[in-house]
Amino acid sequence: MTDQLREKRIGIVGVVIIAIFLTLISRLWYLQVATGEELALQATSNRVRVIQEEAPRGRILDINGNVIVDNRITKSIVIDRVQLSNEKRKKEVIKKLSKVLNIDSKVVESRIADQRISPYKPVPVAIDVPFDRIQYIKERQNEFTGVDAVPLPVRRYPNGNLAAHLVGYVGEINDEELSTRKDDYQLGETIGKSGIELAYENYLRGEPSIKKVEIDVKGRVLRQISYKEPVPGNDLILSIDIGLQQVAETSLARQIEITRSVQDTSDKTKFTKFKAPGGSVVMVDPNNGFVKALASFPTFNPAEFVDGIPTPIWEELNDPKNAFPLNNRAVQGLYAPASTFKMVTAIAGNNTGIITPYSTFNDTGSLKVSDREFKNAGKKANGVINLSSALTVSSDTFFYNIGSKLWSLQYKQKPGGDAIQDTAREFGFGSVTGLPIGNESKGRIPDEEWKQKVHDENPEAFPYAQWLPGDNVNTSVGQGDTLVTPIQLAMAYSTFANGGVLYQPQLVSEIRESESKKVVKKIKPIPIRTIEMSESLVNSMKDGFTGVISNEKGTARNAFLSFPTNIPVAGKTGTAEVSGKQDTSLFVGFTPIKKPNFVAVAIVEEAGFGAGTAAPIVKRTFEGVYGLPVTDVIFAAPPGGID
Amino acid sequence: MPIAKTLHQAKRQISAKPWKQIDVILISAVAAISVLGCLMIYSASRSRLGELGISKTYFLERQIGFVIIGFVLMGIVMSVDYRKMRDVSPFLYVGVIAMLVLVLSPIGSSVNGTQGWFNLPGGFGLQPSEFSKFFLIIILASYIAANEQFHLGALFKTLVIAAVPIGLVLLQPDLGTAMVLCAILIGMLSVAGTKGRYLLVMMLFAVVGVVGVLQLGVLKEYQVERLTGFINPSHDTQGITYNLDQSKTTIGNGGFSGKGLFKGEQTNLSYVPEQHTDFIFTAIGEELGFIGSATVLVLLGIIAWRIWRISRAAPDAAGTLICIGVVSMFVFHVFENVGMTMGIMPITGIPLPFVSYGGSAILLMFMSIGLVNNIYMHRFE
Repeated sequence: MTDQLREKRIGIVGVVIIAIFLTLISRLWYLQVATGEELALQATSNRVRVIQEEAPRGRILDINGNVIVDNRITKSIVIDRVQLSNEKRKKEVIKKLSKVLNIDSKVVESRIADQRISPYKPVPVAIDVPFDRIQYIKERQNEFTGVDAVPLPVRRYPNGNLAAHLVGYVGEINDEELSTRKDDYQLGETIGKSGIELAYENYLRGEPSIKKVEIDVKGRVLRQISYKEPVPGNDLILSIDIGLQQVAETSLARQIEITRSVQDTSDKTKFTKFKAPGGSVVMVDPNNGFVKALASFPTFNPAEFVDGIPTPIWEELNDPKNAFPLNNRAVQGLYAPASTFKMVTAIAGNNTGIITPYSTFNDTGSLKVSDREFKNAGKKANGVINLSSALTVSSDTFFYNIGSKLWSLQYKQKPGGDAIQDTAREFGFGSVTGLPIGNESKGRIPDEEWKQKVHDENPEAFPYAQWLPGDNVNTSVGQGDTLVTPIQLAMAYSTFANGGVLYQPQLVSEIRESESKKVVKKIKPIPIRTIEMSESLVNSMKDGFTGVISNEKGTARNAFLSFPTNIPVAGKTGTAEVSGKQDTSLFVGFTPIKKPNFVAVAIVEEAGFGAGTAAPIVKRTFEGVYGLPVTDVIFAAPPGGID
Repeated sequence: MPIAKTLHQAKRQISAKPWKQIDVILISAVAAISVLGCLMIYSASRSRLGELGISKTYFLERQIGFVIIGFVLMGIVMSVDYRKMRDVSPFLYVGVIAMLVLVLSPIGSSVNGTQGWFNLPGGFGLQPSEFSKFFLIIILASYIAANEQFHLGALFKTLVIAAVPIGLVLLQPDLGTAMVLCAILIGMLSVAGTKGRYLLVMMLFAVVGVVGVLQLGVLKEYQVERLTGFINPSHDTQGITYNLDQSKTTIGNGGFSGKGLFKGEQTNLSYVPEQHTDFIFTAIGEELGFIGSATVLVLLGIIAWRIWRISRAAPDAAGTLICIGVVSMFVFHVFENVGMTMGIMPITGIPLPFVSYGGSAILLMFMSIGLVNNIYMHRFE
């Protein structure tokens, strides 16, 4: 080995050493200075975890402060995934736990496998766990790593199914809700799914507690950095009176039960009973639009949704055989209003000068329009009648006449030809009323434009594009293509009853802080528009509506026979023909007559005459209003078998 | 040439007192880095110890003890002329082999899957593989220096001499130490005058060897993953690359000026595994920032420079080769350790010289510096 070579090699070693140190320093510069900020940020998110816990949800109370929905504390079983991170151990614990709790181990697995739930938040796997099961687990804590029993507030429904459609139900937030809600919702949280729980979610939810913790590499919580107290959700004071709600619901259910046992005599071919699959009742205060009771049949049990609804029950609720109990018929149901619509036609006829409050008309039992003959129900001739008696006996011909004459105006392109449609729209038909629950239907007021449109869209199914006289005649008695919802009908009659103010219906009268009871928001009535009606017209119509119940010829007289005669009640029946189905039974009532405080609508599908099913429901509901004993009415047929 | 003669005489005079010839810069750098090491061990271990309910100064106290023993051992190594060690190298070789065989027997004990420790009273463990580095340097230097012409036969014999301890270390298995031994071998062989192409072939063998070890299943699965984690960072999400990510994140969190001593957030929360031993550099990075970490690298660089410098001043070939062996070992330790914490080298259990906690490693480093100083002291002879 020459010295020269050695010197050279030593030199190379030196160069290698310098290169190595330069590499290290450059890498250090890259990590700490060039990308240091990014890594520092990563370090923070690495260490700090935000744990969000739901605040107690606000209560839902009735107008008198009675509880409709509040919370109860249930013992739930949760699994802390940080503690149970060992895969083998996890399998053992899940197996044991599902056996003890008698639940499917797959359910537990899928719940704790959900990576979207914060890993620092214990995952609830079962609620309402019996005490002996909890004891069993607690005594064998070493076998149940990470399993704990914690109190969990869940919704409580002290009145069972009462007001189920109104209050709606809650459930675990789903992906869609999570992405559309801009707020700080997290998976696993409870959210309102329908009814008031959904509409007032922002008030009921409150603000979750936010705990920031520092964790170590194993995910163990080391210390709490900050804690923000939860703000409990606000209490909602509804305009609903649970006493009236109870009466409305039981009346609806009871009368439907009775009607289902009655023969549908309109079917001449065979013995058929009424199907009466569903119906609804709406009662409002006509002076401000606040809803007093709102019932839909069939109903459901919101308590079944508390821990995620079991699949068989969910399937049952969505089976067409069961008439869709989750649907809120009071706001979603679409029905031909039939004779209850005559109120609109009457006002339209008066406003266009076709009739006056006192003018007479000879009802011969039918009216010839163009080449077609339109008959009264039962072909009965009522003789010379005026507006008032036309309403009492529910003469169709009287209103056909108005419809027919208005069509002529339309045809001549004179003003007022669309008076029925315009009046209907003024009273709120054909558009949503604005009730915040139940995914409201708009309904339909058919006119020339609508007919042209459906024809253009589907010329085969709707061969006629022209608005024919018959169309207007049908509309004048609420048949044909007219569709309304029970809530629309209630608001329209409220408008008539209060002298012309159309209100937006509302359910919540007050919002309060749950602990201090401080009023957060006092809800005021929302008037939408005022409709001019002459006093003589109103009086004449009121006389007619009064006669419906108290006149011997009144269509609902039999239904109200057991109702005290000293209490002034008025109303209007309706029997709607539905193609391929039994008739829809409708009734709208209001009381007292002079200055009404209650307007009630009942509509039952495939239940025959308005007087047979719907009128008794309203009668019972009014009995509730006046604190009278409620009595059944066995399918009160209208006098002469007409409506 | 009177001046030359006077100089020569002066040299002779100075050499008469070898103790006055020690490399003060080298010793100072070692002392400084040792003190810094103690401080960082305390910082990196106190919260973890506190959590376990053990005295927070447990590792600090022991490390101070190791450093003191280290200085004493360094003094002892300096006081025995390295040429005497060279003369007994065959016996040293037999001793090293015996220790490495013994540790594989039931007398030895295993930590983290590596059979590499002798348990001593007082909870101390002795790692013969650490000391094998020191002795292999002396043995190889003696053998190579004894061959005036470093021909192919001598090269072959040298390789065989080195292969036995390397093989035994691999049986533990301690891949990190085996790699250090290879680095020492290659460093020394290159200065011995081995032809460039042979060196290249050997380096190729070393790489093939490492891959072979990984493939043959000598290592436990987690050891393989640890080694390859830096190549496939996305391979696993929570395990090895997680540690690597934490390591890089922690260093990056320090930024330019650091979070301040004892104020490292990641360090205090025990995010990085083995932070007082193999990953001590992350604590330095987070708490002292770029300024502090670079200072540590500069101090380590000064040590490397001084050792390299001494290799050129050595009075004989054996001295030069010893210095090259020590500097190869030292720089490989630094490169591998610091490189792994920053994600540019595979993760192996190699400590950072004078900084990482660990008795055997600290003692080895002090002994090696003693050996280098020994050579420096005799440079005029």
